[in-house]
Parts: sequence; structure tokens; C-alpha cells
Amino acid sequence: MNAPARLLWLALALLLITPGLGRTEQIVCLDCHDSDMMRKELRAIPEEWRKSVHFQNGIACNDCHGGDPGDAQMAMSPERGFVGKPGYDQIPQFCGKCHIGILKNYLDSGHGRALKSSGSGPNCVTCHGSHLIQRASIDIINEERCSQCHTYERAKVIKEALFETERNIRELRGSIEALHKAGVYTEDLGKELFSTEAEFRTLFHSVDVSLIRQRTDGFLRQLDRIRGEDQNIVRELRFRKNFASYLMLVCLAAAGVLVMLFRTKG
Amino acid sequence: MDRRRVLKSLLVLLGSALSVSLIYPLVRYLAPPSGAEQGGKVTIKKSEVEVGSSKDIVVRNIPAIVINTPEKGFIALSKVCTHLGCLVQYEKSKNRLLCPCHGGVYNLEGTVISGPPPKPLQKFAVKVEGDSVVIG
Amino acid sequence: MVRKIKDWLEVRIGLAEIIRTQLTGYMVPGNINLFYTLGFVALAAFFSQVATGFFLLIYYLPHSEYAFRSVQDIMSRVPYGWLFRMMHAVGSNLMVATVVLHMLSVSYMGSYKKPRELTWVAGAFMLFVTLTFCLSGYLLPWSQLSYWATTIVTSIPAAIPYAGDMIAGTLRGGEMVSGATLNRFFAIHVILLPLLLIFLFGIHLFLVRRIGVSSPPFGRTAPRWRPGTSFRHEDHPDGHPFYPYFVQREMMMVFLYFAAMFFIIAFLPTLFSPDDANTPADPFRTPAHIKPEWYFLPFYQLLKLIPNKLLGIGIQALLAALFIFWPFIDTREEDNILKRPRLLALFAAVVVSWVILTVWGRYS
Repeated sequence: MNAPARLLWLALALLLITPGLGRTEQIVCLDCHDSDMMRKELRAIPEEWRKSVHFQNGIACNDCHGGDPGDAQMAMSPERGFVGKPGYDQIPQFCGKCHIGILKNYLDSGHGRALKSSGSGPNCVTCHGSHLIQRASIDIINEERCSQCHTYERAKVIKEALFETERNIRELRGSIEALHKAGVYTEDLGKELFSTEAEFRTLFHSVDVSLIRQRTDGFLRQLDRIRGEDQNIVRELRFRKNFASYLMLVCLAAAGVLVMLFRTKG
Repeated sequence: MDRRRVLKSLLVLLGSALSVSLIYPLVRYLAPPSGAEQGGKVTIKKSEVEVGSSKDIVVRNIPAIVINTPEKGFIALSKVCTHLGCLVQYEKSKNRLLCPCHGGVYNLEGTVISGPPPKPLQKFAVKVEGDSVVIG
Repeated sequence: MVRKIKDWLEVRIGLAEIIRTQLTGYMVPGNINLFYTLGFVALAAFFSQVATGFFLLIYYLPHSEYAFRSVQDIMSRVPYGWLFRMMHAVGSNLMVATVVLHMLSVSYMGSYKKPRELTWVAGAFMLFVTLTFCLSGYLLPWSQLSYWATTIVTSIPAAIPYAGDMIAGTLRGGEMVSGATLNRFFAIHVILLPLLLIFLFGIHLFLVRRIGVSSPPFGRTAPRWRPGTSFRHEDHPDGHPFYPYFVQREMMMVFLYFAAMFFIIAFLPTLFSPDDANTPADPFRTPAHIKPEWYFLPFYQLLKLIPNKLLGIGIQALLAALFIFWPFIDTREEDNILKRPRLLALFAAVVVSWVILTVWGRYS
């Protein structure tokens, strides 16, 4: 068989998509936590995690809890850095290993100080949950949750102060996603938005109304700039569509004239 | 016969329209990028950044930081974390750059020390010319 | 002015004679149809690919660190880069479609029969080269889609006993698809395949001109021309002149080809580039649904249906061989497929199963 033919049926052979192909490593934690020998609440953990934003971004058990996900015998050994379940007042430090900026603002906030002084203030999981964690939204601030500890009044004021910025972010995120679907490489724009959003989220954890109000203008300006870039891309896409349509019409017209030409000949 | 003539000139017209519509993009495509995209150097005074301290600047629309290190003199790095784009912060005491979003840590070379960033921070060229420092 | 140039050339190369024998006096069959223009359309498509490919090379960086970024820069920063990139990407799909249509019409009209066996074999190899073009070009943007599709394809030969791992390793330039693979595929795509295709095209065109254009078996005015025991050029003295009669039709089809291309660019720009095509390659994350391009789907589905990988590859190799050497297998003289119900049934069966496998592969 000669070279082109051999290369070809390699090509022809395009297939066998095995879904597991390329998945990096097996996490041994799941072997036990998924099995029915586990207590019900411990068994629910992997299922919750699989629905979480952490799972979507490849954050696995050991990224928070330590330990060795590759060795069933030693998976939960403190020697391998296993820390297990944090105590109630240890939770902010636990999440703050990665969410550094948020931890800092939280610790300075009324919430954080309450936890420190009394050991019973709201911590991360009070609002965000633990294993089933989702991308945060402003809806987390609601009467049911806040009034567990204090009246909703103050929380409502903060929510109102955040509302406009949050709405802008949500809108822009949708718009950028749509551009990505339309074939545009949006990583740079997406990162700009994420950075703004993250800064805003960090601020939000200070639960300080006057600080939030004071900085809202800056955020809105930043978002306006991102929206401007986004709109430029939308306009550019419209231009491309028009230009390609024009080229198509010219080609069609040329083909039409040729048809008329060879019909005229007789 | 007259009809054929008209059709032929119409064809020539359409052909030229198509050629022009493809040659114009080609000329634009091959033209050298405009000066604004190439340049964008930032010049600061040496005295603005003391040894061990840092200064935030913007180079070609990218937020960046100039650090005057005791060991290696002036260095300039992009502040945009390569993970999700948050702006990293300079931690003078630990000689490192930390991303507040997900804890990515870079050393002063811009190399990833720990955390999720996939790539090192972008580095800018630095040239010391007398009293001033030219970045980019 | 034109007249002067003509006279100048006349003295040196005998222009008038070339025009007479190759264009105005070169007669094509009286019952020739539009399907006969598809070969020329495929050639025009190839030239379009060469031109746009050359423009892309000016900004493309064949290195795993920069490839994705450079393609995105072409798409969004370089003025009108999107136009040439889209023409190249959409054009590759349309070129395959044109070549496949050309092949189908040649089979249906029995044009592969004696004395044109070699023309068919050269054409079959050109189809393979075209598909290899697509395969190698697919990796170059270094996106998730290209990375994982290539990973899967290059793992296929590993099923071949003994030499399998070596072949896979040679293709990839290592254990995994990596920057080394990118450079190999790049070299194949921009140097080897174009030269190979031009070489095969030279043979193909030489054979077509030397043997003469076949006349379609349908609606013949003159009695059928039958090849004898010695070589004779098939001519059609009572047919149409190649120029202007046939050239006009060819040009019309070429304009339709480009109209179709610009239609897709304008109204279906993401038809051939799903989300994964504008996400950079990530060797640590497999996208959920990778499907090969439409022209590979039948082979993909067939391979999935056969449980044994080696057997699957064997069967596909056998099919490829049958395809290449078909004129030597179907040697019956009758070239009108409508008078040969069994051949017609086979033709229909191949086309229908092709369609079924494509749809099945797409939605399974």
C-alpha cells in the first residue's frame, strides 16, 4: 500500500471516540464515597460535587481536603496532607486557601468579625453551601437567608446597591458567551469581565454599603468599556455578514449573466 | 448580437467588481500594522521606584507592574493573571506576586510557583537609559 | 496593443494554432452536461485554497505556543484576515464536496471504463490527498477540536499488529499529540500535499486530453465510441467547441461555487466551526462531544460498528482498495448504468449507506 493510501485510511479511520480517552487520573476518594457502604450523608457528597461549579472547573476532593487521590490506602492520611472536614470557625480559612481576596474582605466585614468574636457568625457555607457550590449570584441575598440572624432591611439596602452592577455583569456575560458561540475568540474579553466581576464580588463581601456605593461608579465605567469592546465585535460581525453577502450576490449575478449569455447564442 | 454585447460588458463589470472587492481586502491584509499597535513604550523616572518598591503602569493597554528588585534591578511584568485575568498583587515581604482570585503565585520572574495559572506572566523588556526606565 | 502582443506571440509560439487546437477547435461531446464541469470547479477550488493558504501563511505561526493565538489574530486583528481564513476553512469543505460530486457523476456515467481506468485511479488518489489535506489542516489552528480529533485519528494505527505503535509514534512525533505533531502536519500540509496533488493532477489532465473526453451514455446523438485494440484519441467532430461553449458553463459553475462559499460565510459562519474550534487546545481536558468532520463520518461510524478495531481497519482498507481499482473490477462493456440494474442497485446502495452512516454518525 503506498503512502497516500495509507495516510488516507488513517484519516478514514477517524474514530472510536471513547469518552474516557484523555481523562487524566482516577480519584480513589470516589470509590468509597460512591459505594453503598458509606453513610448516606457522606455518600451524597460526590453527587453534589459533580453538579458543582468546582467539578466543572476540575477542582477535585484533594484540592480542598488534601490527601492523596491516587492511593486508596493513604488517601486520608494526614501525612499526605489530608485535613478532612474543617471546624465551623475554620471554614473561611479553608475556602480562603484559594479565594484569597474574598477571604480578606470577609474577615474585615461584620460577618467575619462576628465569627471571630463569637464563633457563630455566618461563614462561607452559610450562603454558598459546600459541595453543591454554584456560581454565585445576587439572589443569594434573600430574606429567608439573612433573617436567620438579623433583619433583612440592611441586607436589602446592600442588594439594591449591588443590583445595577450585577445586572450589567450578567448581561455582558451573556453577550460574550453569544459571541463565543458565533465563532469569536472571546478569552481576552471574558478575562477582563471576570477580573471586574471578581473585584466586585470581593468588595461585596465587605458588606459595607457606603464602600459599595462609593465604588459602584468605577465598576460601571469599567463595565461600559468592556461593553464598548463587545459592541465593536458585534458591529464587526455585522459588517462581515454584509460583505460576504455582497460577494455572494456578485458571484450569483455573474453566474446568471453567463446563463443568459449561453442562452442567447442560439 | 446587441444583447450578447450588453451581457458581455455586464460580465466584465461584475468580474471587475469581484476582483476589486477581493484585492482591496488583500491590500489591507498585507499592509504593515499601524504604528499604534507596534509602539506603546512607557518611560518612567528611576526615582519614581525606589529599590524594593513597585509602581503600577499600563503598557499597550495591559496593566503592568514595575518592580525595582535589590538583586536584579528593574523588572516589568503584566499584572494580568494567566488563569482567569484577575490582577495580581505584589507581596514585597514574600518576594512574590499573588492573585487574589484563586491563589495563583508567581515569583518575580513571572514563573508560576503554585496555584491554577497555566502560563507564566507576560514579561516586558526593560531598558535603563540614564535617569529613566523604558518599558515595553 | 492586444493585437501587437498577439502578433509577437504568434511568431514565437504559434498562438493561433494553440487557440485553434486547444480552445475553439477542440470539440467536446454534443450531449455533454453540467456535471462534466465539476473537475474544473474542483481545480478552481484548489487554486482558491492555494491562494488563501498562502495569505494565511503570512501571519500563521506553526508552533504549539503561538498557533492558536496567531489564527485568532488573523480572525480578529489583521484587517480582512477573517475573509481569507473563512474562505480557506469553508473552501476546504466545499472542495471535498465538489470532488465527491465529481467522483459520483463519473461513476454514474460510467466514464471510468476502458480506456480511462488510469484516469480514475489518479482521481481516486487525488480524493485521498484532498482528505489528507483536510486532516492535516485541521490540526493547524491548535484548538480543542483540532487537538482531540487528531489525537483520536493518530491512535487508530496503533491497532495494527507489530508496526502499529511505530506508525502512531512516527505520525505524532512522540507518545502524544504535541508541538512535534503540529510541525509534522504543517510540513505535510503546505509542501508535500500540494506538490503531490499538482503531480497527480498533471497525470489526470494528461490522460483526459490524451484519451479524449468521454461522452455521457445518456442522450447520445452519435453511435457510441468503442475503444479498439490499439490507441486512438476519442474525438467529437460534431460536438461543441471547448471555447466558448464549455468554458462559459465551467465559469458559471465556478461562480456558483464561490456564491455557495460566500453564502456559508455570511449566513452560516459557524457551520464548520463549533465552540471547540475557538477554544485553545488543552491536552488535559477532553471536550464532551468530538465528532469528525462530515466527510469522515461514514468511516467513523463504520469503525464504531465493527467491534474489533483491527478488523475495522482491515475492512476499510479493503473498501479503499476496491474503490481505487474499481475500473479493473467492473469490466463489462455496457456503460449506461440504466441498462445494468445490478450496478445501479450497487450504486444506490453505496450512496444510501453513505448517507445513513453519515447521519447515524452525526447523531449517535
